[in-house]
Amino acid sequence: MFTIKPVLSSLMRSRTGPLLLLLQIVLSVAIVANAGFIIQERLALMQRSSGIAEQSVLSFSLYNFGEKVNLPQQLKRDLEILRNIPGIKAATSTNMLPLSGSGWSDRFIDGPDPETAKSTPGFAWYLGGEQMVDTLGVNVIEGRNFRADELNHSITDSGMKALMSAPLAKEVFGEESAVGQIMYQGSDNQIEIIGVVEVLQGAWVDSDQFDYSVIQNIELNENRSNQFMVRADRRDVPALEETIKQALRAENPDRVIRNFNTLRELKDMSYAFHAVMAGMLSIMIILLLVITSLGLSGMVMFNIQRRTKQIGTRRALGARKRDIVGMFLVENWLICFSGGLLGGLLAMELGSQLMTLFSLPMMGWQWPAMTVAGLLVITTVAVLLPARKAALISPAIATRTV
Amino acid sequence: MLTHYMDLGWRSIRKTPVLSALMVMAISIGIGITLISLNVFQLMSHNPAGERSSVLHMTQLWSQGPDSWEEYSANLTYQDTMNLRQSDIPVRSVASFRSGGAIHAEGSDAEPEMRSIRVTDSEFFAMFSVPFLYGGSWDKSVDMEAAHVVVINEDLNRTFLGGGNNVGKIIYLDVTPYQIVGIIDHWMPRPKYYDVTNGSMNFAESIYVPFSLTPHEEFPVWGNTSGWQFEPLITYNDRLLSEKTWIQFWAELPDEDAQMQFSQWLTSYVEQQQALGRFTDNTRTSWMRLLDVAEYLTDSEVVPEDNRIMIGLSALFLAVCLVNILGLLLTKFLKRAPEVGVRRAIGASRRQIFLQHMVEVSLIGLLGGVIGLVWAWFGLTTLADHLGMEEALGRLDPSMWIMTPSIALGAAMLAGMYPAWVICRTQPSVYLKSQ
Repeated sequence: MFTIKPVLSSLMRSRTGPLLLLLQIVLSVAIVANAGFIIQERLALMQRSSGIAEQSVLSFSLYNFGEKVNLPQQLKRDLEILRNIPGIKAATSTNMLPLSGSGWSDRFIDGPDPETAKSTPGFAWYLGGEQMVDTLGVNVIEGRNFRADELNHSITDSGMKALMSAPLAKEVFGEESAVGQIMYQGSDNQIEIIGVVEVLQGAWVDSDQFDYSVIQNIELNENRSNQFMVRADRRDVPALEETIKQALRAENPDRVIRNFNTLRELKDMSYAFHAVMAGMLSIMIILLLVITSLGLSGMVMFNIQRRTKQIGTRRALGARKRDIVGMFLVENWLICFSGGLLGGLLAMELGSQLMTLFSLPMMGWQWPAMTVAGLLVITTVAVLLPARKAALISPAIATRTV
Repeated sequence: MLTHYMDLGWRSIRKTPVLSALMVMAISIGIGITLISLNVFQLMSHNPAGERSSVLHMTQLWSQGPDSWEEYSANLTYQDTMNLRQSDIPVRSVASFRSGGAIHAEGSDAEPEMRSIRVTDSEFFAMFSVPFLYGGSWDKSVDMEAAHVVVINEDLNRTFLGGGNNVGKIIYLDVTPYQIVGIIDHWMPRPKYYDVTNGSMNFAESIYVPFSLTPHEEFPVWGNTSGWQFEPLITYNDRLLSEKTWIQFWAELPDEDAQMQFSQWLTSYVEQQQALGRFTDNTRTSWMRLLDVAEYLTDSEVVPEDNRIMIGLSALFLAVCLVNILGLLLTKFLKRAPEVGVRRAIGASRRQIFLQHMVEVSLIGLLGGVIGLVWAWFGLTTLADHLGMEEALGRLDPSMWIMTPSIALGAAMLAGMYPAWVICRTQPSVYLKSQ
């Protein structure tokens, strides 16, 4: 059924059509492989675990513009009010919001002398109350969380305690346990690491140090502007915005309360560009495949009309219907394979160009391979339909003049 | 003749509706995708400074110590900014940073609103060609002797004061009264080229207050504050004295001479600071640079990398569509060979046959272009909607009205050239015999 030689010689006779097809497949493989690779890379970025109960954490900002406000007292009152709202399981003030694209980053050094000490990598620096851990829903895997009576209110206070994310702890201390280690900020400020959380991402989704973060026992209370996070049941979150506004305004009307977002919403905003890129590329791939297969079907259909006499003769000489179908399939596969090979090379070249020009990792060979496999399937379907029609050509045709 | 060819082309297109539709679809999708990425590129790579681009210079200093940042910070420290403001070499110089606060007006029904504020110098408006509706900037003396004056935009003027000439009236930032000295018209440079650090496609601020008020009013910083060493900012004064960078500094330097002079001035300034123990990174030979607007936008990577990748991929995509159409056209034209044979036999020249087919191809291209434009518009709206950037991205750049027909015609002709050439070489005798 699958004889290559006659197909090859017929391909060599009318070169233009197959050549165009070849070119199209070469380009398609190059595009689809690279686009697919980029999509996969973006999706993998988005699927990393943040360590946070994203949908159950509601964040908002509060700005006190009243003139005679005792800010530390006000913060204390506000936290009390929040924690008493039914449905809220935990609440904390915070200096930054995870996954939001903006926040504080810092480094510790491992000794008191800034000249000789080694610096940790940069990390997201979360400052908040003892309920920060519960609010975020992060998992303390070693050591402990800090207690309410251990809270500081200024960056220069003594008695600093911090929790580190496990990836950061591993980077800084290797196999050694992080708990109990002393780190420094400048020469005077000592920070005791008292716990390790399993996963906690920072604020910048494109950062290399996205998994490095530290929660420290500082509840900043001298700022007019504060950010809060509250933890509730996912079902209760939508109604909370109004409840919180009312409760806090009842306490003191001179403030602006706004920017209500769940952490999931912040995450989606931060990843919006990646999501759009993945979406656009997916649409591109689908359209490309549609266009390629439609074009292929069109060409085969035309070929059938042109080769009616040839097909009729073959049928008259004893070729079965499946031989005719087979002829078209073999023709297609020949083109597909050679196009796939060339296209694969082009795709790898394009991939390495993209890698040098842009911050993309190198594409593996499996991407072009998968694309060629996919194209084989799709083009087979695209060819099969018109080819079966061709097989129906009656041998009698051959005897007539076309 | 052209109209005749167009008529022939149209007939031919109608004769094979499926094949024609396929071709128009293919080319329109190719054009649509290309237009989307080009349009995004056009919008983002736009330089709103126009001819003033080479005159305005962002000043950057390498104030960090050794082994810290590996590139220039976009911003300056407060102390450097205050010193640079002293230089009289720039025609205009402007320090600025982004802040924010609660805005309200006495007697207004509108609730207080959080708005972003630009804290800047009097010449900001002249430097960036900001159009005034009423009044103008505050007096230059205010840049030295702080006063509570403010410039607001028309949108804020309408919300809080009901519109009209409200110069002289009072609005409140938090609880502090400010006298309005100027109201600016709608002004929305995209990208926001005087400060792209917090979203280059963001809105321009609606409130402008004197930079000289900074130490008195302790404006919160809504932009980036970056530090390379441990410096706790407990009080606002700590911030002012620190090595943290958070202020943009623009200098207007009209010619190379002025640029040279200012560079020299900056170099000697750095030397002077080094004598005081700052600018300690000795691995460097230069501690300052001046970027004009175009350089600043490039350096800040305002055009996202993804967009460039998309342009490359969509060009390839268009190429696939072209090859596809090329094949289909060849198919279609060859099918018509007998007809062409007859035309040739009764006197049509090769040139005429070639032209006739090129006209037909151009028609297909133009049709594809029109539909492609619709795709692009649709795609852009969806895209902007997803990114929450309706106003910034969800519109077609005027250049697209030239770009679309040129791409459409160019692409179609490229694809049609070979098939038209093949068909115009038809031997009439072959077809006359077989008919």
